[in-house]
Amino acid sequence: MPTFTIDNKTITVDKGTTILKAALENGIKIPHFCYYEKLSIDGCCRMCLVEVEKMPKLTIACNTTVADDMVVHTHSPKVMKARAGVMEFQLINHPLDCPICDQAGECRLQEYCFEYGVPHSRFKEEKRKKKKRFSIGEHIVFDEDRCILCRRCVRFCREISKTGEVAVFSRGDRSYIDIYPGRGLNNKYSLCTTDICPVGALTSKDFRFKVRVWFLTEIESICPECSNGCNIKICVRNNNKIYRYLPRQNDKVNDTWMCDGGRLSYKNILSEDRLTQPLVKSGDKQTPVKWDEALSIIAKGFKGKDGKPDGPHIGGIASPHFTNEEGFVFQRFMRDALETNNIDFTVIKGYKDDMLIKEEKAANPRGAKDMTLSPRNGGLSISEMIRGISTGDIKILYIIGSDLMGLEEGEMILDSLGNLDFLVVQDTHVSALSRKADVVLPSATFAEKDGTFTNINGIVQRIRKAVDPPGDSLPDWKIISRLSKAMGYVMEYNSPEEIMNEIAKEIPAYKDVNYKKIENQGISVG
Amino acid sequence: MEKYLTKNFDVPNSETIKAYLNRGDGYKAVEKALKEMTPEQIIEEVKKSGLRGRGGAGFPAGLKWSFMPKDNGKPKYICCNADESEPGTFKDRQIIERDPHQLIEGLIIGAYAMGVNTVYIYIRGEYASQAKILQKAIDEAYENRYLGKNILGTDFSIDIYVHRGGGAYICGEETGLMESIEGNKGQPRKKPPFPAGYGVWGYPTTINNVETFSHVSHIINKGADWFKGIGTEKSTGNTLFGVSGHVKRPGVYELPFGVSLKEIIYEHAGGIRNDNELKGVIPGGSSTKILTDSMIDVKMDYDSLMQAGSSIGTGAIIVMDHTTCMVRVGCVLSHFYRHETCGQCTQCREGTAWMHQIISRIEKGEGEIEDLDILLDIASNMEGNTICALSDAAAWPVQGLLRHFRDEFEEHIKQKRCPFTDSFLV
Ligand SMILES: Cc1cc2nc3c(=O)[nH]c(=O)nc-3n(C[C@H](O)[C@H](O)[C@H](O)COP(=O)(O)O)c2cc1C
Ligand code: SF4
Ligand code: SF4
Ligand code: SF4
Ligand code: FES
Repeated sequence: MPTFTIDNKTITVDKGTTILKAALENGIKIPHFCYYEKLSIDGCCRMCLVEVEKMPKLTIACNTTVADDMVVHTHSPKVMKARAGVMEFQLINHPLDCPICDQAGECRLQEYCFEYGVPHSRFKEEKRKKKKRFSIGEHIVFDEDRCILCRRCVRFCREISKTGEVAVFSRGDRSYIDIYPGRGLNNKYSLCTTDICPVGALTSKDFRFKVRVWFLTEIESICPECSNGCNIKICVRNNNKIYRYLPRQNDKVNDTWMCDGGRLSYKNILSEDRLTQPLVKSGDKQTPVKWDEALSIIAKGFKGKDGKPDGPHIGGIASPHFTNEEGFVFQRFMRDALETNNIDFTVIKGYKDDMLIKEEKAANPRGAKDMTLSPRNGGLSISEMIRGISTGDIKILYIIGSDLMGLEEGEMILDSLGNLDFLVVQDTHVSALSRKADVVLPSATFAEKDGTFTNINGIVQRIRKAVDPPGDSLPDWKIISRLSKAMGYVMEYNSPEEIMNEIAKEIPAYKDVNYKKIENQGISVG
Repeated sequence: MEKYLTKNFDVPNSETIKAYLNRGDGYKAVEKALKEMTPEQIIEEVKKSGLRGRGGAGFPAGLKWSFMPKDNGKPKYICCNADESEPGTFKDRQIIERDPHQLIEGLIIGAYAMGVNTVYIYIRGEYASQAKILQKAIDEAYENRYLGKNILGTDFSIDIYVHRGGGAYICGEETGLMESIEGNKGQPRKKPPFPAGYGVWGYPTTINNVETFSHVSHIINKGADWFKGIGTEKSTGNTLFGVSGHVKRPGVYELPFGVSLKEIIYEHAGGIRNDNELKGVIPGGSSTKILTDSMIDVKMDYDSLMQAGSSIGTGAIIVMDHTTCMVRVGCVLSHFYRHETCGQCTQCREGTAWMHQIISRIEKGEGEIEDLDILLDIASNMEGNTICALSDAAAWPVQGLLRHFRDEFEEHIKQKRCPFTDSFLV
């Protein structure tokens, strides 16, 4: 563990730590362009030059390992001169079109310009002409004249997505970033290059010009699109609208990456076909009703002639999109209020890779399992319930979500639902399933509520409400506890956190889980 | 003055192994090294000789060889740098054309000393006929069992491959060269890691210049003390001075270090063309800082040139008479570096282009007086701050020109044109 001095501070670091890392970890600022924690060290931008006593020349902090008794100066006159030099070199051919640049506000060049730049330009030559704004991939626009050739995007595509479609072509001041002929920057993680591009050269077509970043608030959450549970920031404006998701660092889960599919899925939340009011079937139509009315209709529908819950004839199909808290409340409702063991869930499967993307296309199948949303004590599985519809054993179904439709026999299931006495579908969006329901309950998406998901590797992570649910829709846990109350079985919860505290008592693997411990990096339940 | 490197250049068919063996000492040094000396003794001898690299930086060769790990159980490599792209430099070419076996012999000894079994000779792309000559010499050496498996009946085996470059100056930089051998774009690697630990294919590698290796057989044959007796205390041995420009007899001259620049120009190279007035001399290849006519008493060795504010570089002497426009010289040189920089490092990519733009503007008569200080400031920001020395190499000539010929730059600016009638726009 070498001990060294940096800007008169004495610091001890792990062996092999670079000066730059040591500085960053200790709150000492060393400007840098090409260095990125999750990529190999490049050393080309030369912005991180520092002075190390006894070394004849300035050295780059990103590639110099700390040694015992090193004395480092990060802001000496020599260093400041070299930095101003790099800034000037970067800027002479830069268009300086900040007012129309999407990166403004999160641009390294802009940031360092204030701190290290030279006040006025000495450059009298003609600026280099470069390609303006062209589509380099399905989701990405490239403004070549803003590129500072830090090669982060090149390294990302070689080392992380392992697709290698981007490279520096030509050499010297003719160098430029481009894609190999016949290819596009279209890997499944392509938009990560827009995160790591330190300037406004690679930008997201989707986000471009939508909003100035300083108007956005970031809420920490989890991507809901697959069971990997990538950590994200939901970026919203005060108009209750989501503008983008950004990956959030969690080295146990997604480093600083996320897939394009997950990133762009925020659009689902804004979509036109959201369910916003409870609906009740009347004739061929479903008409909007108030919550109380919908709940009392269901309460009636779930009961047999004797006025008691028609337990054996009821089936509950849970959602792998449930938070853990919702799953827990759901199974309590089914088992305790409806007295049935017919509980199951399914999850849609799809594309996977060996980076982040997982086969299960829902955030919480693992949590659903942990919360015992599978049949127990003789309860029926999904296929048994479906078979039960034709034999008359199952008369009532309470279905949350539409993942059933992902099953091979989806269409067949849809047909058989017509034979039920009573069907309740609770979902975020209109679906073929919801259209068949006697009562439809509108629920909130993950971005509109609090709770936890357990990812495929057993890491419990928090989601946080970023926007209000549209219309009358409510989080599933609220709907279920209200419904339970309407049926005379009181399950009062004030918050998902309260439910988690109960989970900790009831489910052994979760005994140490609480919201404080989860914080923003999650905790493992093995 | 005894010549040894170029001694046999004029022997008929000097490039053949037959001629080489007929000399009597051809491949004798290999015999001696492999049969009578341990690898350590060879490295010690080379160290003792004071032999310094002839590729430009003058690093002690024996010391470099001693950095190679011993018995690491993994492959090790030698790269022989025959990229020879520094403007003004054409000495390695002479060795390859006229005495290639001398180089091969040096390589075998070096390989044995460092425990290397594979040697790459990286030769610049434009040296097409030279690459053929070299390959032929290597083939002959294989036929005569100086190369290949178990040479001279020992358990030492060695293969030499000729690798032709694509014509980029930057591929002469040691790690740019290694990238190029690996089939990658010729871009120098950041250091650390250094080649002795992480070179070609990621394995320990030593790289030396063609001429550096060519001295080795002579050192082994005649001993380090003999070698040390030639030249000066810190610049030992003969070296090849390539003289070009406005002299009567341009060419490669083998002379001991310490000879005066004046002697080289006026005695060996025959003086200035048309007996013109001497104006400036670039003493060691395009990267080194120019000297004026009043400085040519300088001794041509590492220390003396350093004191004179320049360096001996590759020993490539470019002589310019009074008809030369120094601004145009600046244009040509800065254009070369702008064209040849790989462009990874911000300072080098942008600085080389900017300097060239400014100097061209001055040559066109559109310069302003403040441009001169801007040029110097650009040069100082480029110097010492980059991955490889190309950025320094681009900064130095501009610094040199402005130091000694600033008045000529100012004259261009004042007159708003180039005062030299035969100078044309770049
Ligand atoms: C831009 C650049 C170009 C170079 N070109 C050559 C070259 O053509 N030939 C050469 O021998 N060394 C060249 N060098 C020097 C090599 O990097 C290296 O120092 C040398 O090959 C080591 O050999 P030596 O120790 O025998 O001189 C170049 C260096 C730089 C920075
Ligand atoms: S596009 Fe962005 S990330 Fe890629 S090299 Fe240019 S500045 Fe760096
Ligand atoms: S890998 Fe999965 S969790 Fe991660 S961003 Fe993509 S869809 Fe979302
Ligand atoms: S100094 Fe110039 S030539 Fe050398 S690596 Fe950097 S950009 Fe390339
Ligand atoms: S951050 Fe160190 S060289 Fe770019």
